[in-house]
Amino acid sequence: MATVFKNLLSNDIATTRTLLNEAIPITGTIVSGTYNDENIKNYAHGMFQSVYDYPYLSSSANHIFDITYGYTSEYSASANLQNAKKLNIYNQMAQVLVGYDVTGSIRKFDRDGDFATTGSNSKLETCVFLNYSRLLTKDEVKKGSYRLTISGSGGDKVIGDYGAQNDYRVNSPTGEYGVLYTSSAAVAGTGVGLIYYQAGVAVLTASSDLFESATDFTGTLSISGTADVVREGWIDNDFNNTTELNSTVYFCRLNNNEFNYSSNPTYLSGSKIVTKEKSTDPSVAYVTSIGLYSADNELLAVAKLSEPLKKDQNNELTLRVRLDY
Amino acid sequence: MGFLDNSGDIILDAVLTDTGRARLAKGDGTFRIAKFALGDDEIDYALYDNDNPSGSAYFDLEILQTPVLEAFTNNTANLNSKLISIARTNLLYLPTMAVNTNFSGDTKLNESINMFYVTVDKETNDAATTIDSAKQGIINGFENSGGSYVRVDQGLDTTEVSQKRNLDSDLVETQYIIELDTRLGEITESLDTGAGATATISFIDDDQIASYYLSLGTDTGFVSSIPIPARVPSGEMIIDGPLGTFLKFKVLASIDLQTSTFLFTELGGTVNLNGTDFYYIDSNIRVTGATTGTRLDIPVRFIKKQ
Repeated sequence: MATVFKNLLSNDIATTRTLLNEAIPITGTIVSGTYNDENIKNYAHGMFQSVYDYPYLSSSANHIFDITYGYTSEYSASANLQNAKKLNIYNQMAQVLVGYDVTGSIRKFDRDGDFATTGSNSKLETCVFLNYSRLLTKDEVKKGSYRLTISGSGGDKVIGDYGAQNDYRVNSPTGEYGVLYTSSAAVAGTGVGLIYYQAGVAVLTASSDLFESATDFTGTLSISGTADVVREGWIDNDFNNTTELNSTVYFCRLNNNEFNYSSNPTYLSGSKIVTKEKSTDPSVAYVTSIGLYSADNELLAVAKLSEPLKKDQNNELTLRVRLDY
Repeated sequence: MGFLDNSGDIILDAVLTDTGRARLAKGDGTFRIAKFALGDDEIDYALYDNDNPSGSAYFDLEILQTPVLEAFTNNTANLNSKLISIARTNLLYLPTMAVNTNFSGDTKLNESINMFYVTVDKETNDAATTIDSAKQGIINGFENSGGSYVRVDQGLDTTEVSQKRNLDSDLVETQYIIELDTRLGEITESLDTGAGATATISFIDDDQIASYYLSLGTDTGFVSSIPIPARVPSGEMIIDGPLGTFLKFKVLASIDLQTSTFLFTELGGTVNLNGTDFYYIDSNIRVTGATTGTRLDIPVRFIKKQ
């Protein structure tokens, strides 16, 4: 009996998971310079500042990250500009990224992710937050790939999650995070920030370790003013993002006695097969497409070959069709 | 030992069709891939050169150089011609399908436009002689009564094999798929073979195309075996060789076409026939053999008197 379909059996279907990485460069000229700050968006509420890759009034502009600033109640003072907002930002970011302790209180950002240590310098009390757009981070930032070069206290500093591919923390409600250091030798207790890989948020200590004008952040500068200082010191930022690709692979197996004829109108002249002179000539057809069908014959997916593929009774083929989700 | 040339890797570019995406979005489990088929839409087999003096390696040289288009996401635009699996490799002829315009006066296409007319309402049907004085190829789409209908015959269209031979059983088409835009009409039996019942729609895709699956033995009002040629008067067949089955049906216009001109103005145009103005919509009814994959597009013109 003639047929045009072949059923897929359970051993013809396989699922795979692939991680794709892209390199993301955010140069200082984009963050501060090229567009005369026309790509910087400030809001009336003053809670954060947005950075675009092009003047944000253009439809071509993509949002790339936000900058904001906050501190704990240790630094709270009514004389500070935007005191309440800075407190609120810290608490908001901390409750999302760090979570709560057993009493239900919001935890502070911990310098090395070890909440058991309670030394005087163990917490990040004032922080600059860099919230990267999902457009850049995709599913997550690749561990060990984050580098941020800024001009700060004592010259340029390269901040990175050195060695994080083999040394990261998992005690955050938003997934995995690594500790940021200013030197490639990661020494416990010397971290200057945290990078939350799935959340796409970098938390930098807003102390004089990194920023010369850190004291101004607390008192005299607004949040957007702090963001301006951070941007002006921005030299370069690079990381790799990760996209998790789940695929189903369908192995379409073409046996020697299958798919050797065609219903293409040009295949017949009258009813005679044009590729055959006599009945003993091989039956030959050429594949250009593979259709994946439901049980009720609805075409659900199509794969195309880059060139026609000859199929006759003398060959067998397995075509591997991958559907990505 | 040298290396094989692997510069011409075959790369697959797979996309979900619009129907696939719609079913995936539904999340009701209807997105389940169960089978596959192969297509060769871009191939022109007339380029196969059996007589190339350089030898058999050159027979299909031009075919193998055919550029292939990227996949379309419209489910109806892909795999229009499919590859067929038949266990026998010694076939020299394959069955084809054709609109049998020879069977009777009721099965003829309208000669002036070479398609079937479908009158969508009573007023238009009453004016059938205005459309064509002999009412040739005019299907009454207002109600299921006698008159013109579509008959599609299947078999080997060759005089090399006698029509008195039986068509090999593995080449007989036993199930037909009819596809028709549901906005325009529906498929019904023609009265001389059945009770005039409307065919059951198997499914309607995202482009409003309805598919009807009609099988030999089950849908007796639509599909029948063609009697042995000795029993049919000569000249009634359109296919010259051994015959398989035939499909016959009529088209009823949709309620929208009967009661409104909206679709006519959106999808069609106007035409003056013998001094009377009509709206019209041109469309195709696609008939596909479910087992042999053979396909036939039948042009129809839905017409409404202004």
